[in-house]
Amino acid sequence: MSIETHEHSSPHHEHPDVVGSRNRLGVILLLVADISFALAVLFVYFYLKGQNVNDMWLPKASDTQDATVPVSSMGAWYVTIIAAFGLLSHRYALAGVRAKNQTQLVLGSGVAFVASLAALIYQATLMNNASFTITMGAYASCYYLIAGLNMVHLILTAFISLGNWNRSRLGIYVADHWHVDIVNVWWVWMTISSLLGAFALSFT
Amino acid sequence: MSDLDTQKRPSIFERKDVKQTVFFWVIFTAIIGYVGATAQARSMGASASETMSTTIHMIKVFTWVAAPIAGLVAAMAMTTLIGKIHFGDAPPEEADHQIRNSPRLTATWLVVSSVLCLFAVVWGTIVLQNDNAALLNPKAMNVNVTGQQWVWNFDYVDNGTVRSEDLYLPVNKPVVFHVTSRDVIHGFWIVQMGIKVDANPGYITTTSATPNKIGIYDLRCAELCGLYHAYMQKKVHVVSQSDYDAWIKSHGGQI
Amino acid sequence: MTTMMEHSASAPGHSAPKRALIERLNIFTAFGLGIIGAIVFWYLAKAILPANTDGSYIKSNRDQYVLFSMIGWLIGFMTGIGALIGPFRWLLGKDLNHDENMFYAGKDQGVKRYLRYTTDHKVVGIQYLVLTMIIFFVGGTLAMLIRTNLAHPGGGWLQPQTYNAIVGTHGIIMIVGTIIMVTGPFGNFIMPIMIGARDMAFPRLNALSFWLIVAAVPPILSSFFLGGISTGWVAYNPLASQAPPGMDGYIMFICIFALSTMVAGANITTTVIKMRAKGMTWNRTPIFIYGVVASVALALPAFPVFFLSQVMSGMDRATGSTFYNTTGGGSGWLYENLFWIMGHPEVYVILIPAVGALMEMAPVFTRRPLFSFNMAVMGIAGISGLSVLVWAHHMYTTGWAPLLSAPFMLTTELISIPTGLLFLVLIGTLWRGRLWMTMPAASIYALLWNFMIGGITGIYLSDVPVDGALHGSMYVTAHFHYTLMGTGLTGALAALVFWFPKMTGRMFDKTLSWVGFWFVQIGFNIAFGVMFFVGLAGQPRRVDAYAALFSRGNMITTGGAYLIMTGMLVMLYGVISSWRHGALAPMNPWFSKTLEWTVPNPVPLENFDVLPVVTSDAYGYGKAKS
Repeated sequence: MSIETHEHSSPHHEHPDVVGSRNRLGVILLLVADISFALAVLFVYFYLKGQNVNDMWLPKASDTQDATVPVSSMGAWYVTIIAAFGLLSHRYALAGVRAKNQTQLVLGSGVAFVASLAALIYQATLMNNASFTITMGAYASCYYLIAGLNMVHLILTAFISLGNWNRSRLGIYVADHWHVDIVNVWWVWMTISSLLGAFALSFT
Repeated sequence: MSDLDTQKRPSIFERKDVKQTVFFWVIFTAIIGYVGATAQARSMGASASETMSTTIHMIKVFTWVAAPIAGLVAAMAMTTLIGKIHFGDAPPEEADHQIRNSPRLTATWLVVSSVLCLFAVVWGTIVLQNDNAALLNPKAMNVNVTGQQWVWNFDYVDNGTVRSEDLYLPVNKPVVFHVTSRDVIHGFWIVQMGIKVDANPGYITTTSATPNKIGIYDLRCAELCGLYHAYMQKKVHVVSQSDYDAWIKSHGGQI
Repeated sequence: MTTMMEHSASAPGHSAPKRALIERLNIFTAFGLGIIGAIVFWYLAKAILPANTDGSYIKSNRDQYVLFSMIGWLIGFMTGIGALIGPFRWLLGKDLNHDENMFYAGKDQGVKRYLRYTTDHKVVGIQYLVLTMIIFFVGGTLAMLIRTNLAHPGGGWLQPQTYNAIVGTHGIIMIVGTIIMVTGPFGNFIMPIMIGARDMAFPRLNALSFWLIVAAVPPILSSFFLGGISTGWVAYNPLASQAPPGMDGYIMFICIFALSTMVAGANITTTVIKMRAKGMTWNRTPIFIYGVVASVALALPAFPVFFLSQVMSGMDRATGSTFYNTTGGGSGWLYENLFWIMGHPEVYVILIPAVGALMEMAPVFTRRPLFSFNMAVMGIAGISGLSVLVWAHHMYTTGWAPLLSAPFMLTTELISIPTGLLFLVLIGTLWRGRLWMTMPAASIYALLWNFMIGGITGIYLSDVPVDGALHGSMYVTAHFHYTLMGTGLTGALAALVFWFPKMTGRMFDKTLSWVGFWFVQIGFNIAFGVMFFVGLAGQPRRVDAYAALFSRGNMITTGGAYLIMTGMLVMLYGVISSWRHGALAPMNPWFSKTLEWTVPNPVPLENFDVLPVVTSDAYGYGKAKS
């Protein structure tokens, strides 16, 4: 008797809106942690730049190695633009699921996934093509830190948007679509964090 | 403190628990203030500079200022302890009131603690300003301090190229230390002068003192710096000006 | 509500092949896969990574191999415990169904569920309790080694390197142990019941937060065999970059632990905000809940910064980057800033839930309402808010920014105001109550005593000129032991005795709790009370040898430490013996009014048959005035 009561009122059977709003808050709180991390990265960048200890933010040429030449921040801005495009296509998908338009949902989330992959590959190329190694001064270290953080974010984005596209394709979001809303939150943060990185790298 | 007159009952001071509390309050405040201030000051030992004397004085005053608060909490706790105490597995009967709040007591408490806090901040800032001003004293002599695992080097830059591993200072002469490190972070600490600053690689930090008593004092490393951190201790010799000059000359420096 | 009519479709004996994987995973497969992962990653790193030849910044390849293989361990362990099943099922669009979720919740699994990725908050709470005790046992053993070594001035029987490693490991292990000691066991087991919820908001994240900490333990323990953490718990760079590979264990430990804290923080905060019982307004929410939420919500933005500082530390060691290496443009002050931006809030992460737990018990054991609930909430909120603005008081003497000393002195001393409110609440509740003298009630007095000493000495230390004399001395060590141990641990032990009946169904042995209490408190005050004075006399921290001047004080401290050890062992014995054959506990042994005492022992899965509706706060003790 009592077991039946449990099953009826199990938390896994709550109303989707309740579960959705709870999950949304949870994701936002996790993002608080990630935002804190990203801001700390910016702090590191500007602190080391400001301190310029031993004049080694951008080391001059020496006998053993070339001077560190900062990369153009345009690459980071392109990553941001691709991420913004992914965000827009995900919003398109979100509009689709809200309008009960399955085609629009699948299309939008599929494009968003492709965008995340494109950004990922482009970011990896950027890291490979930098003219300096991580050991060449504080700027070089910070550059790789920011790029690395972006890589981690993009890998997560690729995973999330792949899942989102797959679930859209399978028609899971017909009944309730709070997952799509939350993925949207993530895309917004992905774009902003990438923008923060590009912003920092614009100051050498 | 003033919680006593905030209880609304007219007969407040006639209540037994209040009387007990006041009694304990006076006693505890006196004990905490006296024992706390004296014992701490005694442990800090002889002071070899004005900075250290001020520090000892501040600890004493802070203790006396904090004593009434600590004494009140202790007195109230003591009163509740000597009242009726219930042991056993079943609960005692309920307390004979349902007081959930006392706005006046709370307000008093907040005001008092804010005032004390303000006092501590203001006084601390004033002393801090004096310490900072001492760094800019043009008459001060300069000593460069370099820490490395696990020794100190002192360069008497005003006296040529004299370098030593124990620190020699003339008495009653302000001195500014320019501290840095060759490897990891060390802590430059002259115990009896109450000054301390970290020796950081890549940076120069400063601190200053005016030794005011001839004697031999302790210099210790205050920041864990590796294997022999515990043994990174040296002596500070505070000597008369003439002895200092002689020492400098004997080490090839000029006055 | 529409889903209320939904029936679970599957029959009880139903076991589809796809459930088999979940059923097979447990702590043993986790350790097995973890070890395999570590070995595979070790050889992978050896094969892939280029041998380091230039050596200008990088010391050797060994840090790369060690870090890689620890990452391999983490991935293997989390796979083996089953943490990845949820995300990948989501990816594939095959969400866990009700039966599987019930299996995850540990339904009908007996003891086995404690060895699995179980999502039931009560199982997680017990797991945390056991883990905390293990951590304290290890950390306490290290503490006794330290104190034994310090009994004689001339350096004891430990080599300096070993001694430094023990100090560092003791520090970090105890910090982690005290961080989880209240929010882990009681925040997980008690808190959801206390707010009238059936489980946490995200049960799988709950299990994740626990198993991440388990995964973090082998790296820190392995550091003993890799040269040790010889840098103190703060692991300041550039010293840390000199340290042996044991440092990599520290780095991984912190990174994994930070992830766990983040997950737990989001989970607990969401649970409290979204899942309180009907009618439980913020005014009616018990104060312990505030303590727990303040603690984890504070950890949420703080620990990622710590995480980052260690990521960079690991990069410096493994890739030769120069974040902290001054010859390459790095800065030790950067590390200190990042570390203490986390490090100071973390102190309150430890303190607040412990004080919150005792504030929860105070009305129960005085049979009167909590005095000034609003001030208690304001005190907790004020401490939390200010605590993120005070980190540089750990850096007064670094020379980092002399001009900022005064503002940081202001923010630091402002904290004394909300802290004072906590005293007001506790002493106000004791005043004119009917004292029911149990071990938790006595702990309130012990807390007032210890916290008062810890608080006042904190005021001395917050004063910049005085800190110039005291920073880096044993005075600081004594001060923070008074706050973290004298206050935090006192609260945690009281919470253990108080909630033991609900968690285990048995009463904690009364005599043992009293014996343990007195040994710990007396020993504690002897050990650390005397330590203040050797600090004032000038004994630095973290030394394995000291001047003869300090020998008497150190001898007494060591004696006190042995008393603490005795008390803690008595408490440990009390836990084990009471758990096994203590008296069966009634549903509400303390006649408390919070919700966790309205559920039967043992607490059923999903806690409540019918969710409670709250109509008043939990502090309606005392007789109404006639």
